Amino acid sequence: MTVIRAFVSRSAPLMACLGLLAIWQVAALMLKTDSFPGAWEAIKAIPSILGDQESLINILASIRRMAIGFSVAVLVSIPLGLMMGRSRAVASFFNPLLMITYPVPKAALMPIILLWLGVGDIAKMLVIFLGVSLPVIYHSFQGAKAIEEKMLWSGAAMGLSAAQRMIRIVLPAALPEILTGCRTGLVLALITMVTSEMIARQSGAGNILFNALDMGQYDTVYAMIIIIGAMGIGLDAAFERLRARLVRWSEPGFEIPLSFA
Amino acid sequence: MNSRAVTTDILLGIVPIALMIALWQALVSFGYAPPALLPPPGLVFTRLAQQLFTTTYQQEIAATLFRLFAGFSIAVLLGVSIGLAAAASPAINAVVRPIVRVLAPLPKVALYPALLLLLGFNHQSKIMLVAADALFPILLSTYYGASMVEQKLIWSAMAAGTPRRQILFKVVLPAAVPSILTGCRIGLVISCIVVFLAEMITSTDGLGHVLVTAARTFQAVDMFVPLITISLLGLILNGLLEGLRNYLLRGFPEV
Repeated sequence: MTVIRAFVSRSAPLMACLGLLAIWQVAALMLKTDSFPGAWEAIKAIPSILGDQESLINILASIRRMAIGFSVAVLVSIPLGLMMGRSRAVASFFNPLLMITYPVPKAALMPIILLWLGVGDIAKMLVIFLGVSLPVIYHSFQGAKAIEEKMLWSGAAMGLSAAQRMIRIVLPAALPEILTGCRTGLVLALITMVTSEMIARQSGAGNILFNALDMGQYDTVYAMIIIIGAMGIGLDAAFERLRARLVRWSEPGFEIPLSFA
Repeated sequence: MNSRAVTTDILLGIVPIALMIALWQALVSFGYAPPALLPPPGLVFTRLAQQLFTTTYQQEIAATLFRLFAGFSIAVLLGVSIGLAAAASPAINAVVRPIVRVLAPLPKVALYPALLLLLGFNHQSKIMLVAADALFPILLSTYYGASMVEQKLIWSAMAAGTPRRQILFKVVLPAAVPSILTGCRIGLVISCIVVFLAEMITSTDGLGHVLVTAARTFQAVDMFVPLITISLLGLILNGLLEGLRNYLLRGFPEV
Protein backbone atom coordinates (compact mmCIF):
# COMPACT_ATOMS: atom_id res chain seq x y z
CA MET A 1 0.00 0.00 0.00
CA THR A 2 2.70 2.47 1.02
CA VAL A 3 4.71 1.48 -2.04
CA ILE A 4 1.80 2.39 -4.28
CA ARG A 5 1.27 5.65 -2.45
CA ALA A 6 4.96 6.55 -2.72
CA PHE A 7 4.87 5.72 -6.41
CA VAL A 8 1.81 7.90 -6.95
CA SER A 9 3.25 10.85 -5.05
CA ARG A 10 6.55 10.58 -6.88
CA SER A 11 5.01 10.39 -10.32
CA ALA A 12 2.40 13.08 -9.61
CA PRO A 13 4.44 15.97 -11.11
CA LEU A 14 5.09 13.87 -14.20
CA MET A 15 1.37 13.12 -14.48
CA ALA A 16 0.67 16.84 -14.09
CA CYS A 17 3.09 17.58 -16.96
CA LEU A 18 1.42 15.02 -19.17
CA GLY A 19 -2.02 16.31 -18.20
CA LEU A 20 -1.10 19.90 -19.05
CA LEU A 21 0.35 18.83 -22.40
CA ALA A 22 -2.84 16.86 -23.09
CA ILE A 23 -5.01 19.90 -22.29
CA TRP A 24 -2.83 21.96 -24.61
CA GLN A 25 -3.22 19.40 -27.41
CA VAL A 26 -7.01 19.31 -27.01
CA ALA A 27 -7.23 23.11 -26.94
CA ALA A 28 -5.10 23.35 -30.08
CA LEU A 29 -7.29 20.82 -31.87
CA MET A 30 -10.37 22.79 -30.89
CA LEU A 31 -9.01 26.22 -31.84
CA LYS A 32 -7.37 25.11 -35.09
CA THR A 33 -5.36 28.25 -35.78
CA ASP A 34 -1.94 28.42 -37.38
CA SER A 35 -0.45 30.35 -34.52
CA PHE A 36 -1.33 27.71 -31.94
CA PRO A 37 0.11 24.33 -32.87
CA GLY A 38 -0.60 21.34 -30.69
CA ALA A 39 1.71 20.02 -28.00
CA TRP A 40 2.72 17.12 -30.21
CA GLU A 41 3.96 19.34 -33.05
CA ALA A 42 5.90 21.46 -30.57
CA ILE A 43 7.53 18.40 -29.05
CA LYS A 44 8.38 17.14 -32.54
CA ALA A 45 10.24 20.41 -33.20
CA ILE A 46 12.46 20.00 -30.12
CA PRO A 47 14.97 17.47 -31.57
CA SER A 48 15.66 19.68 -34.58
CA ILE A 49 16.49 22.61 -32.27
CA LEU A 50 18.64 20.58 -29.91
CA GLY A 51 20.26 18.79 -32.85
CA ASP A 52 21.25 22.06 -34.49
CA GLN A 53 24.76 22.89 -33.35
CA GLU A 54 24.29 26.64 -33.40
CA SER A 55 21.18 26.69 -31.26
CA LEU A 56 22.72 24.17 -28.87
CA ILE A 57 25.74 26.47 -28.43
CA ASN A 58 23.31 29.35 -27.89
CA ILE A 59 21.40 27.51 -25.19
CA LEU A 60 24.58 26.37 -23.47
CA ALA A 61 25.87 29.96 -23.52
CA SER A 62 22.65 31.03 -21.80
CA ILE A 63 23.08 28.40 -19.13
CA ARG A 64 26.71 29.41 -18.57
CA ARG A 65 25.81 33.08 -18.13
CA MET A 66 23.02 32.14 -15.77
CA ALA A 67 25.27 29.89 -13.69
CA ILE A 68 27.96 32.56 -13.34
CA GLY A 69 25.52 35.35 -12.55
CA PHE A 70 23.68 33.19 -10.04
CA SER A 71 26.79 31.95 -8.21
CA VAL A 72 28.36 35.38 -7.90
CA ALA A 73 25.07 36.79 -6.64
CA VAL A 74 24.71 34.04 -4.02
CA LEU A 75 28.31 34.45 -2.86
CA VAL A 76 27.89 38.19 -2.36
CA SER A 77 24.32 38.25 -1.07
CA ILE A 78 24.46 35.63 1.69
CA PRO A 79 27.20 37.37 3.73
CA LEU A 80 25.52 40.74 3.20
CA GLY A 81 22.11 39.42 4.24
CA LEU A 82 23.52 37.68 7.30
CA MET A 83 25.33 40.83 8.40
CA MET A 84 22.15 42.83 7.92
CA GLY A 85 20.32 40.32 10.08
CA ARG A 86 22.83 40.54 12.91
CA SER A 87 23.59 44.24 12.95
CA ARG A 88 20.94 46.90 13.19
CA ALA A 89 23.24 49.55 11.73
CA VAL A 90 24.04 47.49 8.63
CA ALA A 91 20.34 46.71 8.18
CA SER A 92 19.20 50.31 8.35
CA PHE A 93 22.07 51.26 6.04
CA PHE A 94 21.04 48.94 3.24
CA ASN A 95 17.29 48.52 3.71
CA PRO A 96 16.01 51.71 2.01
CA LEU A 97 18.32 51.16 -0.95
CA LEU A 98 16.98 47.64 -1.37
CA MET A 99 13.39 48.84 -1.01
CA ILE A 100 13.87 51.35 -3.80
CA THR A 101 15.52 48.89 -6.13
CA TYR A 102 13.16 45.98 -5.46
CA PRO A 103 10.24 46.99 -7.74
CA VAL A 104 12.55 48.00 -10.59
CA PRO A 105 12.55 45.26 -13.20
CA LYS A 106 16.21 44.31 -13.48
CA ALA A 107 15.90 43.35 -17.11
CA ALA A 108 14.63 46.87 -17.79
CA LEU A 109 18.07 48.13 -16.80
CA MET A 110 19.35 46.17 -19.76
CA PRO A 111 19.09 48.99 -22.34
CA ILE A 112 21.06 51.32 -20.06
CA ILE A 113 23.67 48.71 -19.15
CA LEU A 114 23.99 47.90 -22.83
CA LEU A 115 24.95 51.50 -23.50
CA TRP A 116 27.78 51.21 -21.01
CA LEU A 117 29.06 47.70 -21.39
CA GLY A 118 28.05 46.77 -24.90
CA VAL A 119 26.16 43.67 -26.07
CA GLY A 120 28.40 41.20 -24.34
CA ASP A 121 28.24 38.48 -21.74
CA ILE A 122 29.11 40.92 -18.97
CA ALA A 123 25.98 43.04 -19.41
CA LYS A 124 23.75 39.97 -19.25
CA MET A 125 25.55 38.45 -16.30
CA LEU A 126 25.34 41.74 -14.45
CA VAL A 127 21.58 41.88 -14.97
CA ILE A 128 21.19 38.28 -13.77
CA PHE A 129 23.37 39.09 -10.76
CA LEU A 130 21.13 42.05 -9.88
CA GLY A 131 17.97 40.00 -10.29
CA VAL A 132 19.16 37.13 -8.11
CA SER A 133 20.82 39.09 -5.32
CA LEU A 134 17.71 40.84 -3.94
CA PRO A 135 15.66 37.80 -2.89
CA VAL A 136 18.77 36.06 -1.55
CA ILE A 137 19.73 39.11 0.53
CA TYR A 138 16.18 39.45 1.79
CA HIS A 139 15.81 35.83 2.86
CA SER A 140 19.29 35.65 4.44
CA PHE A 141 18.39 38.82 6.34
CA GLN A 142 15.14 37.33 7.62
CA GLY A 143 16.84 34.06 8.49
CA ALA A 144 19.65 35.71 10.43
CA LYS A 145 17.23 38.00 12.25
CA ALA A 146 15.12 35.12 13.54
CA ILE A 147 17.99 33.35 15.33
CA GLU A 148 17.62 32.73 19.02
CA GLU A 149 19.93 35.05 20.92
CA LYS A 150 20.64 32.36 23.50
CA MET A 151 22.54 30.30 20.97
CA LEU A 152 24.76 33.24 20.16
CA TRP A 153 25.29 33.98 23.85
CA SER A 154 26.32 30.42 24.57
CA GLY A 155 28.61 30.52 21.56
CA ALA A 156 30.22 33.68 22.88
CA ALA A 157 30.47 32.19 26.38
CA MET A 158 32.30 29.21 24.95
CA GLY A 159 34.82 31.53 23.37
CA LEU A 160 33.78 31.80 19.75
CA SER A 161 34.84 35.01 18.07
CA ALA A 162 32.29 37.11 16.18
CA ALA A 163 33.39 35.73 12.81
CA GLN A 164 33.28 32.16 14.12
CA ARG A 165 29.78 32.72 15.53
CA MET A 166 28.71 33.96 12.13
CA ILE A 167 29.95 30.84 10.36
CA ARG A 168 29.24 28.19 12.99
CA ILE A 169 25.91 29.45 14.39
CA VAL A 170 24.25 32.08 12.22
CA LEU A 171 24.91 30.50 8.84
CA PRO A 172 23.60 27.00 9.68
CA ALA A 173 20.61 28.35 11.60
CA ALA A 174 19.62 30.63 8.75
CA LEU A 175 20.29 28.00 6.09
CA PRO A 176 16.68 26.88 5.49
CA GLU A 177 15.61 30.47 4.93
CA ILE A 178 18.68 31.19 2.77
CA LEU A 179 17.92 28.22 0.58
CA THR A 180 14.34 29.41 0.11
CA GLY A 181 15.80 32.67 -1.14
CA CYS A 182 18.19 30.83 -3.45
CA ARG A 183 15.28 28.86 -4.89
CA THR A 184 13.39 32.06 -5.69
CA GLY A 185 16.64 33.46 -7.06
CA LEU A 186 17.08 30.48 -9.33
CA VAL A 187 13.69 31.00 -10.97
CA LEU A 188 14.40 34.73 -11.24
CA ALA A 189 17.77 34.01 -12.83
CA LEU A 190 16.03 32.03 -15.54
CA ILE A 191 13.45 34.77 -16.11
CA THR A 192 16.11 37.48 -16.26
CA MET A 193 18.20 35.33 -18.58
CA VAL A 194 15.34 34.99 -21.07
CA THR A 195 14.37 38.66 -20.94
CA SER A 196 17.92 39.98 -21.14
CA GLU A 197 18.51 37.92 -24.26
CA MET A 198 15.23 39.09 -25.66
CA ILE A 199 16.36 42.71 -25.30
CA ALA A 200 19.92 42.18 -26.50
CA ARG A 201 19.21 39.86 -29.40
CA GLN A 202 22.63 38.46 -29.88
CA SER A 203 22.74 34.92 -28.61
CA GLY A 204 21.01 32.61 -26.20
CA ALA A 205 17.76 30.78 -25.65
CA GLY A 206 15.67 33.96 -25.34
CA ASN A 207 17.07 35.13 -28.65
CA ILE A 208 15.96 31.95 -30.44
CA LEU A 209 12.50 32.20 -28.87
CA PHE A 210 11.75 35.79 -29.80
CA ASN A 211 13.39 35.60 -33.23
CA ALA A 212 11.17 32.64 -34.04
CA LEU A 213 8.18 34.67 -32.85
CA ASP A 214 9.12 37.56 -35.13
CA MET A 215 9.62 35.26 -38.08
CA GLY A 216 6.39 33.40 -37.48
CA GLN A 217 8.01 29.99 -36.90
CA TYR A 218 5.35 28.96 -34.45
CA ASP A 219 6.43 25.42 -33.75
CA THR A 220 9.92 26.68 -32.85
CA VAL A 221 8.31 29.24 -30.50
CA TYR A 222 6.39 26.58 -28.64
CA ALA A 223 9.28 24.13 -28.69
CA MET A 224 11.52 26.78 -27.10
CA ILE A 225 8.82 27.44 -24.50
CA ILE A 226 8.88 23.75 -23.63
CA ILE A 227 12.70 23.70 -23.50
CA ILE A 228 12.92 26.79 -21.24
CA GLY A 229 10.07 25.50 -19.10
CA ALA A 230 11.77 22.14 -18.74
CA MET A 231 14.97 23.93 -17.70
CA GLY A 232 13.03 25.77 -14.99
CA ILE A 233 11.33 22.66 -13.69
CA GLY A 234 14.52 20.60 -13.85
CA LEU A 235 16.64 23.19 -12.03
CA ASP A 236 13.96 23.65 -9.39
CA ALA A 237 13.65 19.91 -8.79
CA ALA A 238 17.44 19.51 -8.56
CA PHE A 239 17.69 22.39 -6.14
CA GLU A 240 14.85 21.02 -4.04
CA ARG A 241 16.71 17.73 -3.76
CA LEU A 242 19.88 19.54 -2.68
CA ARG A 243 17.91 21.59 -0.17
CA ALA A 244 16.26 18.52 1.31
CA ARG A 245 19.71 16.98 1.80
CA LEU A 246 21.29 20.08 3.34
CA VAL A 247 18.53 20.94 5.79
CA ARG A 248 17.06 17.55 6.55
CA TRP A 249 16.88 18.58 10.22
CA SER A 250 14.41 21.38 9.67
CA GLU A 251 11.04 19.73 9.20
CA PRO A 252 8.71 21.83 7.09
CA GLY A 253 5.42 21.99 8.97
CA PHE A 254 3.13 22.44 6.01
CA GLU A 255 3.38 19.06 4.36
CA ILE A 256 0.24 17.77 6.08
CA PRO A 257 -3.04 19.00 4.62
CA LEU A 258 -5.43 20.54 7.08
CA SER A 259 -8.23 18.28 8.18
CA PHE A 260 -11.60 19.37 9.42
CA ALA A 261 -12.42 16.12 11.15
CA MET B 1 15.06 56.97 23.08
CA ASN B 2 13.03 54.92 20.68
CA SER B 3 12.24 57.81 18.39
CA ARG B 4 15.91 58.75 18.40
CA ALA B 5 16.85 55.24 17.29
CA VAL B 6 14.35 55.52 14.45
CA THR B 7 15.83 58.86 13.35
CA THR B 8 19.30 57.32 13.32
CA ASP B 9 17.93 54.46 11.22
CA ILE B 10 16.44 56.86 8.70
CA LEU B 11 19.64 58.91 8.57
CA LEU B 12 21.72 55.79 8.07
CA GLY B 13 19.36 54.65 5.32
CA ILE B 14 19.65 57.91 3.42
CA VAL B 15 23.44 57.62 3.34
CA PRO B 16 23.80 54.93 0.63
CA ILE B 17 21.16 56.57 -1.56
CA ALA B 18 22.85 59.95 -1.21
CA LEU B 19 26.22 58.32 -1.87
CA MET B 20 24.87 56.69 -4.99
CA ILE B 21 23.50 59.95 -6.34
CA ALA B 22 26.76 61.72 -5.42
CA LEU B 23 28.76 59.05 -7.24
CA TRP B 24 26.43 59.39 -10.20
CA GLN B 25 26.92 63.16 -10.24
CA ALA B 26 30.67 62.77 -9.79
CA LEU B 27 30.95 60.35 -12.71
CA VAL B 28 29.30 62.92 -14.94
CA SER B 29 31.01 66.05 -13.62
CA PHE B 30 34.51 64.62 -13.70
CA GLY B 31 33.98 63.44 -17.23
CA TYR B 32 34.27 59.69 -16.62
CA ALA B 33 30.94 59.14 -18.33
CA PRO B 34 29.74 61.22 -21.27
CA PRO B 35 26.35 62.85 -20.54
CA ALA B 36 24.91 61.08 -23.57
CA LEU B 37 25.39 57.74 -21.78
CA LEU B 38 24.84 58.86 -18.21
CA PRO B 39 22.85 62.07 -17.86
CA PRO B 40 23.43 63.99 -14.61
CA PRO B 41 20.90 63.21 -11.85
CA GLY B 42 19.61 66.79 -11.73
CA LEU B 43 18.60 66.60 -15.37
CA VAL B 44 16.89 63.23 -14.87
CA PHE B 45 14.87 64.41 -11.89
CA THR B 46 13.77 67.69 -13.51
CA ARG B 47 12.77 65.71 -16.59
CA LEU B 48 10.80 63.33 -14.34
CA ALA B 49 9.03 66.26 -12.67
CA GLN B 50 8.19 67.78 -16.06
CA GLN B 51 6.94 64.49 -17.46
CA LEU B 52 4.72 63.75 -14.47
CA PHE B 53 2.60 66.80 -15.32
CA THR B 54 2.12 66.06 -19.02
CA THR B 55 -1.06 64.24 -20.02
CA THR B 56 0.71 61.84 -22.37
CA TYR B 57 2.96 60.59 -19.61
CA GLN B 58 0.03 60.35 -17.21
CA GLN B 59 -1.77 58.23 -19.78
CA GLU B 60 1.23 55.90 -20.00
CA ILE B 61 1.22 55.54 -16.23
CA ALA B 62 -2.55 54.92 -16.29
CA ALA B 63 -2.16 52.18 -18.91
CA THR B 64 0.55 50.48 -16.86
CA LEU B 65 -1.43 50.79 -13.63
CA PHE B 66 -4.58 49.40 -15.25
CA ARG B 67 -2.74 46.27 -16.47
CA LEU B 68 -0.97 45.91 -13.16
CA PHE B 69 -4.18 46.08 -11.12
CA ALA B 70 -6.20 43.87 -13.45
CA GLY B 71 -3.54 41.17 -13.44
CA PHE B 72 -2.86 41.46 -9.74
CA SER B 73 -6.57 41.25 -8.83
CA ILE B 74 -7.03 38.12 -10.93
CA ALA B 75 -3.98 36.62 -9.24
CA VAL B 76 -5.27 37.46 -5.74
CA LEU B 77 -8.75 36.07 -6.43
CA LEU B 78 -7.49 32.85 -8.00
CA GLY B 79 -4.56 32.43 -5.64
CA VAL B 80 -6.55 32.86 -2.44
CA SER B 81 -9.44 30.65 -3.54
CA ILE B 82 -7.28 27.85 -4.93
CA GLY B 83 -4.95 28.04 -1.95
CA LEU B 84 -7.83 27.81 0.53
CA ALA B 85 -9.49 25.00 -1.39
CA ALA B 86 -6.23 23.04 -1.52
CA ALA B 87 -5.71 23.50 2.21
CA ALA B 88 -9.26 22.48 3.02
CA SER B 89 -9.73 19.41 0.89
CA PRO B 90 -7.19 16.60 0.47
CA ALA B 91 -8.73 15.67 -2.88
CA ILE B 92 -8.22 19.13 -4.37
CA ASN B 93 -4.80 19.22 -2.76
CA ALA B 94 -3.80 16.02 -4.53
CA VAL B 95 -4.69 17.57 -7.89
CA VAL B 96 -3.39 21.09 -7.28
CA ARG B 97 -0.07 20.25 -5.65
CA PRO B 98 1.64 18.50 -8.59
CA ILE B 99 0.31 21.07 -11.07
CA VAL B 100 1.66 23.91 -8.92
CA ARG B 101 4.97 22.11 -8.54
CA VAL B 102 5.29 21.97 -12.30
CA LEU B 103 3.99 25.45 -13.12
CA ALA B 104 5.50 27.50 -10.28
CA PRO B 105 9.18 27.25 -11.34
CA LEU B 106 8.31 27.73 -15.01
CA PRO B 107 9.65 31.08 -16.26
CA LYS B 108 6.38 32.75 -17.20
CA VAL B 109 8.04 35.28 -19.50
CA ALA B 110 8.77 32.40 -21.84
CA LEU B 111 5.01 31.86 -22.07
CA TYR B 112 4.51 35.42 -23.24
CA PRO B 113 4.96 34.66 -26.96
CA ALA B 114 2.24 32.03 -26.66
CA LEU B 115 -0.04 34.48 -24.85
CA LEU B 116 0.63 37.05 -27.55
CA LEU B 117 -0.28 34.64 -30.30
CA LEU B 118 -3.42 33.51 -28.48
CA LEU B 119 -4.72 36.75 -27.00
CA GLY B 120 -3.31 39.39 -29.31
CA PHE B 121 -1.20 42.44 -28.65
CA ASN B 122 -3.75 44.26 -26.52
CA HIS B 123 -4.31 44.43 -22.80
CA GLN B 124 -5.35 40.78 -22.38
CA SER B 125 -1.99 39.15 -23.04
CA LYS B 126 -0.19 41.49 -20.63
CA ILE B 127 -2.81 41.13 -17.92
CA MET B 128 -2.65 37.35 -18.26
CA LEU B 129 1.14 37.40 -17.94
CA VAL B 130 0.97 39.55 -14.81
CA ALA B 131 -1.71 37.29 -13.35
CA ALA B 132 0.27 34.14 -14.15
CA ASP B 133 3.41 35.50 -12.53
CA ALA B 134 1.78 36.94 -9.41
CA LEU B 135 -0.49 33.92 -8.89
CA PHE B 136 1.98 31.43 -7.46
CA PRO B 137 3.48 33.39 -4.56
CA ILE B 138 -0.05 34.31 -3.45
CA LEU B 139 -1.35 30.78 -3.90
CA LEU B 140 1.53 29.19 -2.03
CA SER B 141 1.46 31.58 0.90
CA THR B 142 -2.32 31.24 1.19
CA TYR B 143 -1.93 27.48 1.20
CA TYR B 144 0.82 27.52 3.82
CA GLY B 145 -1.04 30.04 5.94
CA ALA B 146 -4.26 28.07 5.79
CA SER B 147 -2.63 24.74 6.54
CA MET B 148 -0.73 26.17 9.52
CA VAL B 149 -3.97 27.18 11.26
CA GLU B 150 -4.03 25.65 14.70
CA GLN B 151 -6.26 22.62 14.84
CA LYS B 152 -7.44 23.73 18.29
CA LEU B 153 -9.02 26.84 16.80
CA ILE B 154 -11.01 24.70 14.39
CA TRP B 155 -12.02 22.28 17.14
CA SER B 156 -13.20 25.09 19.39
CA ALA B 157 -15.17 26.68 16.55
CA MET B 158 -16.79 23.33 15.86
CA ALA B 159 -17.52 22.80 19.54
CA ALA B 160 -19.10 26.25 19.63
CA GLY B 161 -21.44 25.07 16.90
CA THR B 162 -20.01 26.69 13.76
CA PRO B 163 -21.20 24.75 10.73
CA ARG B 164 -18.43 23.04 8.80
CA ARG B 165 -18.98 25.15 5.72
CA GLN B 166 -18.47 28.38 7.62
CA ILE B 167 -15.29 27.28 9.37
CA LEU B 168 -13.36 28.00 6.21
CA PHE B 169 -14.48 31.62 6.13
CA LYS B 170 -14.81 32.31 9.84
CA VAL B 171 -11.70 30.61 11.16
CA VAL B 172 -9.27 29.52 8.46
CA LEU B 173 -9.40 32.58 6.21
CA PRO B 174 -8.91 35.19 8.98
CA ALA B 175 -6.16 33.12 10.55
CA ALA B 176 -4.38 32.89 7.22
CA VAL B 177 -4.60 36.63 6.47
CA PRO B 178 -1.06 37.54 7.64
CA SER B 179 0.43 34.88 5.40
CA ILE B 180 -1.85 35.83 2.49
CA LEU B 181 -0.77 39.46 2.78
CA THR B 182 2.89 38.47 2.71
CA GLY B 183 2.18 36.58 -0.51
CA CYS B 184 0.33 39.59 -1.92
CA ARG B 185 3.32 41.79 -1.20
CA ILE B 186 5.64 39.51 -3.15
CA GLY B 187 3.00 39.24 -5.87
CA LEU B 188 2.72 43.01 -6.09
CA VAL B 189 6.45 43.53 -6.62
CA ILE B 190 6.44 40.78 -9.23
CA SER B 191 3.45 42.42 -10.95
CA CYS B 192 5.34 45.72 -11.17
CA ILE B 193 8.31 43.97 -12.74
CA VAL B 194 6.31 41.83 -15.15
CA VAL B 195 3.98 44.52 -16.42
CA PHE B 196 7.01 46.63 -17.27
CA LEU B 197 8.71 43.76 -19.07
CA ALA B 198 5.59 42.86 -21.04
CA GLU B 199 5.29 46.44 -22.18
CA MET B 200 8.92 46.45 -23.19
CA ILE B 201 8.47 43.38 -25.36
CA THR B 202 5.44 44.51 -27.34
CA SER B 203 3.33 47.49 -26.62
CA THR B 204 2.18 50.80 -27.95
CA ASP B 205 1.76 52.47 -24.57
CA GLY B 206 2.78 52.13 -20.96
CA LEU B 207 5.99 52.86 -19.06
CA GLY B 208 7.88 49.94 -20.57
CA HIS B 209 7.11 51.27 -24.01
CA VAL B 210 8.45 54.70 -23.03
CA LEU B 211 11.73 53.07 -22.02
CA VAL B 212 12.04 51.08 -25.25
CA THR B 213 11.28 54.11 -27.42
CA ALA B 214 13.87 56.13 -25.55
CA ALA B 215 16.41 53.32 -25.91
CA ARG B 216 15.83 53.08 -29.65
CA THR B 217 16.40 56.80 -30.10
CA PHE B 218 19.31 56.92 -27.62
CA GLN B 219 17.60 59.42 -25.33
CA ALA B 220 19.42 58.44 -22.16
CA VAL B 221 17.47 60.89 -19.99
CA ASP B 222 14.13 59.45 -21.03
CA MET B 223 15.39 55.96 -20.27
CA PHE B 224 15.91 56.79 -16.61
CA VAL B 225 12.54 58.51 -16.18
CA PRO B 226 10.27 55.43 -16.57
CA LEU B 227 12.62 53.37 -14.41
CA ILE B 228 12.40 55.87 -11.57
CA THR B 229 8.64 56.08 -12.09
CA ILE B 230 8.15 52.32 -11.75
CA SER B 231 10.34 52.31 -8.65
CA LEU B 232 8.20 55.09 -7.12
CA LEU B 233 5.00 53.27 -8.11
CA GLY B 234 6.30 50.14 -6.45
CA LEU B 235 7.11 52.05 -3.28
CA ILE B 236 3.69 53.75 -3.19
CA LEU B 237 1.80 50.51 -3.82
CA ASN B 238 3.89 48.75 -1.20
CA GLY B 239 3.07 51.53 1.26
CA LEU B 240 -0.65 51.20 0.49
CA LEU B 241 -0.49 47.45 1.03
CA GLU B 242 1.34 48.03 4.29
CA GLY B 243 -1.48 50.37 5.37
CA LEU B 244 -4.07 47.75 4.43
CA ARG B 245 -2.11 45.18 6.38
CA ASN B 246 -2.02 47.36 9.49
CA TYR B 247 -5.76 47.94 9.15
CA LEU B 248 -6.66 44.29 8.60
CA LEU B 249 -4.32 42.98 11.27
CA ARG B 250 -5.13 45.59 13.91
CA GLY B 251 -6.37 42.95 16.36
CA PHE B 252 -3.51 40.52 15.74
CA PRO B 253 -0.50 40.16 17.98
CA GLU B 254 2.68 41.52 16.37
CA VAL B 255 3.61 39.24 13.48
